[in-house]
Amino acid sequence: MTAPAAVLREPSLARDLIALTKPRIISLLLLTTLAPMFVAGTPSWGVILWTGIGGYLMAGGANAVNMYLDQDIDHVMARTKLRPIPSGRLSARAVLAFGIAIATAATWLLGHYVNVLTAALALGGFYFYVFVYTRWLKRTTPQNIVLGGAAGAFPPLVGWAAVTGRVDLASVYLFLIIFYWTPPHFWALALLKQRDYGKAGVPMAPNIWGERETIDQMLWYTGLLIGLTVLPVTFGVFGAFYLVAALVLGAILLRGVWNIRTLDARGESWIPVAWKVYKYSLLYLALLFVAMAVDRHV
Amino acid sequence: MTLPLSPLFWLAIALVLVSQLMILRSTIRAMRAAASDRARRGIEWAYAVVPAVALVVALAATWQASREHAVRLDLETRANQTVAP
Repeated sequence: MTAPAAVLREPSLARDLIALTKPRIISLLLLTTLAPMFVAGTPSWGVILWTGIGGYLMAGGANAVNMYLDQDIDHVMARTKLRPIPSGRLSARAVLAFGIAIATAATWLLGHYVNVLTAALALGGFYFYVFVYTRWLKRTTPQNIVLGGAAGAFPPLVGWAAVTGRVDLASVYLFLIIFYWTPPHFWALALLKQRDYGKAGVPMAPNIWGERETIDQMLWYTGLLIGLTVLPVTFGVFGAFYLVAALVLGAILLRGVWNIRTLDARGESWIPVAWKVYKYSLLYLALLFVAMAVDRHV
Repeated sequence: MTLPLSPLFWLAIALVLVSQLMILRSTIRAMRAAASDRARRGIEWAYAVVPAVALVVALAATWQASREHAVRLDLETRANQTVAP
């Protein structure tokens, strides 16, 4: 017998603990960790498994600590007010303890079963997200997600180091690709959620700079991103398959952002297009990293 | 040995550099429009410049790596020509 949907969505401790880790966001982080492992070489099943588990726990720990630090604004924003702390289902202290515990477990697992560099890089991503992004940049500058984007760019370094035991130019490029993908991706959402961010006092670019300036920057960041995705081909990391994929995927993203700009210039609503760009940007990154892994093995 | 780099390299470099310059220009424009004091503007300017400097360092390393790759490809081509009857 199938349970009704309402029963399936009933809150429980297990569901809340999983929600603290933000599993939907982590699925993309895991993809950008695991795909570079197949670019870097041929990883064993053990390395893939431990890197995947360690990566999930570290990112999940960072997300839980982030929810602890943002508890004062999460209840203000429609997007976040149903999270376990603002809805009163979990205490803030319990969330903090959970986040630190799973991040500590991740550090040990990665250090013990993969290598020390991998553990150090994953922990670096945790610290960057918690202290540099959430504590420092998020509430002080409209460029919060530009520099803060580095936190989400650590996973490919982690995956690369898990296989090779080092960080080199190719892995730096994977880092840069995610770093420069973050502004057009996140600002598409920020354009749509301006009122929420305004109420919470988070100085997102559209609230401070205005929509036109933000859209212009999204366009230039997308151009920069396309150039960066092409450059690894010129020093032999990727071949023709990846090049075609990067250009086609990039052109679609650029067209979406350009459409937002055109509609904005005409004074027409760009809301449906901004949603499409936001959703497509997630698909863009996933497909780009899959193309990288496939390219190395065709 | 100095070999010419592919047009793809120069096109991508041009796209990256022009885009980065436009981002800096747009950031300056946005900072001027937003009401903020001089100290705040300085900090915002630093936030914009740091990634740009890191990017230039990465591009310099890419230029070196692409040159080495071009030399490697050239040597492989020559070796194949020597072996071929």
